[in-house]
Amino acid sequence: MATLVLALTLTGCSAGGERREVIVTGSTTLLPISEVSGEMYTESHDGISILVSGMGSSAGIESVTKGSSDIGTSSRELKDAELELGLEDTPVAYDAIAVIVHPDNPVRELSTFEVRSIFAGVITNWSEVGGPDLPIGLVNRDEASGTREAFSKIIMDDARFDRGAVVLPGTGQVRSVIADVEGAIGYISLGFVTDDVKAVAIDGVEPSEATVVSGDYPVQRVLHFFTKDDLSDIARDYIEYVLSPDVQDTIVRDAGFIPITAKEAIGG
Amino acid sequence: MGKRWTNRIALGVLWMCGLTTVVVLGAVIVYVFIRGIGQITPEFIFTAPHGVNAEGGIGPTIVATIYVTGLAMLIVTPIAVLAAVYLAEYAVQGRLVNTIRFAADTLASVPSIVMGLFGFALFYEVMGLGFSVLSGALALSFLMLPIVMRATEEAIRAVPRFIRWGSYGLGASKWQTVSKIVLPSAMPRILTGLILAMGRAVGETAVVIFTMGQAIYTPISPLDPGRSMTVHLYTLAMEGINMDAAYGTALLLMVMILIFNVSARWLAARNRRLKG
Amino acid sequence: MAEPQQTGSGPVKSGLKMMSRATYMREALLKNLFLLCAIVAVAAVALIFVFTTARGWEVVKDPGLVAFLTGAEWSSTLGRFGILPLVVGTLAITLGSLVLGAPLAIGTAVFLSEIASPRMRSIVRPAVEMLAGVPSVVYGFFGLVILRPIAAELTGGMGFGTLTASVILAVMIVPTIATLTEDALGSVPPGIREASYAMGATTWQTIYKVLLPAAKIGIIDATILGMGRAIGETMAVVMVAGNAPQFFKGLGAPIATLTSQIVIDMSYATGTHKTALFGLAIILFLISMGLVALVRALSRLNEKKA
Repeated sequence: MATLVLALTLTGCSAGGERREVIVTGSTTLLPISEVSGEMYTESHDGISILVSGMGSSAGIESVTKGSSDIGTSSRELKDAELELGLEDTPVAYDAIAVIVHPDNPVRELSTFEVRSIFAGVITNWSEVGGPDLPIGLVNRDEASGTREAFSKIIMDDARFDRGAVVLPGTGQVRSVIADVEGAIGYISLGFVTDDVKAVAIDGVEPSEATVVSGDYPVQRVLHFFTKDDLSDIARDYIEYVLSPDVQDTIVRDAGFIPITAKEAIGG
Repeated sequence: MGKRWTNRIALGVLWMCGLTTVVVLGAVIVYVFIRGIGQITPEFIFTAPHGVNAEGGIGPTIVATIYVTGLAMLIVTPIAVLAAVYLAEYAVQGRLVNTIRFAADTLASVPSIVMGLFGFALFYEVMGLGFSVLSGALALSFLMLPIVMRATEEAIRAVPRFIRWGSYGLGASKWQTVSKIVLPSAMPRILTGLILAMGRAVGETAVVIFTMGQAIYTPISPLDPGRSMTVHLYTLAMEGINMDAAYGTALLLMVMILIFNVSARWLAARNRRLKG
Repeated sequence: MAEPQQTGSGPVKSGLKMMSRATYMREALLKNLFLLCAIVAVAAVALIFVFTTARGWEVVKDPGLVAFLTGAEWSSTLGRFGILPLVVGTLAITLGSLVLGAPLAIGTAVFLSEIASPRMRSIVRPAVEMLAGVPSVVYGFFGLVILRPIAAELTGGMGFGTLTASVILAVMIVPTIATLTEDALGSVPPGIREASYAMGATTWQTIYKVLLPAAKIGIIDATILGMGRAIGETMAVVMVAGNAPQFFKGLGAPIATLTSQIVIDMSYATGTHKTALFGLAIILFLISMGLVALVRALSRLNEKKA
């Protein structure tokens, strides 16, 4: 009883005063960018803190719409229903989604159609795509994942994922399972691909920064910061910072993404 | 000699059961220890994670864990202790007491995910506290209430009757007896219960993830968000980017809980020794 | 001289006690304060029930109670929220964990209670308590890095599924069942054991034919509570079960439970989906409350017998 009264009083107390923080929520894919840049911004700007958390692109969009965060990060486009929300879109990086398999898997390339059939559960054995006689182990991401959303849109089109696929809520998990299980296949952001796994070529195109920038690699997407009109000055400043070469050439690249400025540099 | 052989085999199996339990515990502890011990440096404990690979330390998570647990205990202890006083000293067997006990038992068995969701609905949404230490502490206190209540009630009941009689015989009122004689006498046991409850709170994940949030932030005011060590471990394990840090976090977590458990046992043993 | 009558630590009845009005008022006030505190427990439960139900009530309208409870498909992209696959998943791993964990736990409890020397006891009992203290994420973590590859070898899949989840859960419920079983065995009067030995029974015969039946209700209670723990476990399950809302397809096939689905979906659920998740929470709450009621009813039966 007394505790509740106390809690309510505290809530009231914090309502006044200038906002010296920027709340950033959303995609786990964007976490390397938002967390590191947020940290650096906080260090160089006294008294301001950037609070970052990652619960999924959808959560980020919902939260910025509701006003509980200043910036909603997303690794997917807005859905039709979300287009009416009046959100401002600031692209911050490009990302390619790599389809990965076990390093010992002889299959080096797949067509879009084959990938779709595999993930829909229609093709269930590697022998059907030129590989060994080995059942395919499907690894999917959870539905909150922007990576899944993007993959679904680009590769799956309208086809549904196989219901029996293992669902893992994290990039690293997908990668470590695929590194461990010979017949496994999954998809992660290109930036997270390490030597433990192998990225296959899609429709003959290997994923790399060059092929993303040139547009040849089909499975690519834009990483977004979504905001509303009533954005605070501090938040705007932070976003400017994220778009600056300081962040784009270092943090974004370190995280394995492609700077948003790269395509402009080529004039494409 | 049928029954002797059966006996031998059966006892052997039972021995295996006991040993298996110890071995499993040992395996978990040893594995986490080996993989995690390399991570434990002062830097790990006191600095914050930074960088793309979450290098650095887990300082903010340690602060968040201690903060939310401490606040929860602060909220829950007075209520739970006084409730236990009622049940042990004043209550008469009847419907009311039965309902209270049933409620306490139910509270103790509520799955933590349900508690987390409830905490989200009440503290985050309805009360507008957002992701904060306070939300987390309030949600945790629901979980802790039955534990502390039960421990305190048992502690109070364990105080011998003749001590109370002596007090009443001297003309003391009920409250004087309880506050000056019974409670102090039961204190070590109550403390043990509190420590065990704290150990439980430290290990909670589902409850805090939906109420305190996930932001890596060193909370100062109770309205600040934070990430507890358990949530951090979950995130690290799922993201898979820095497994070393995950092991380090797991190790620190287990050390913390071990300290709680050992202190509780030590207190209980000391109490037994002193009381004879 | 009327002696103060004390029944246990209940109210004092004394003909000779004289209190000033002030003291009497204060005592009455304090008693009611404590009563209020005790009622907090009831209020808490009511609060949880009310809020969760209020938030999840819409499920009755959309998708409708029958569709929700008996629907065979849980897919948020399709807007279908049938819990049957989740129920099957929960049942599968609960059964699996009980099959593996209950015998181990009861065996450990019997070992501690009847066979272990004081020195063994001082090693094993703390071990059991400490197993209870390990956070579920650590168990999940352990399951993920150690058990999953082993299960993958054994079942030929990726190692996510009923097998791994059951093993991890079994370890998690052992302390619950073991501690309560040991209590139950402890409350069997020692005389019964002595009588059995006096008749020439071996230790095992005593345990099997005399003690276990005598402690039966307590052991059943312990198992039910262990079951409740398994049903309600979330984090460890999410990390090893595979989270595929499909019907049971084998020990090595990924599976989802009532609890795991909430965690996986919660961060992005909106509208009907979110309401459905609260619907899951209501069901879990009712199950756990039902189990508690069952245990209490059984204990009352037991007391009436004794």
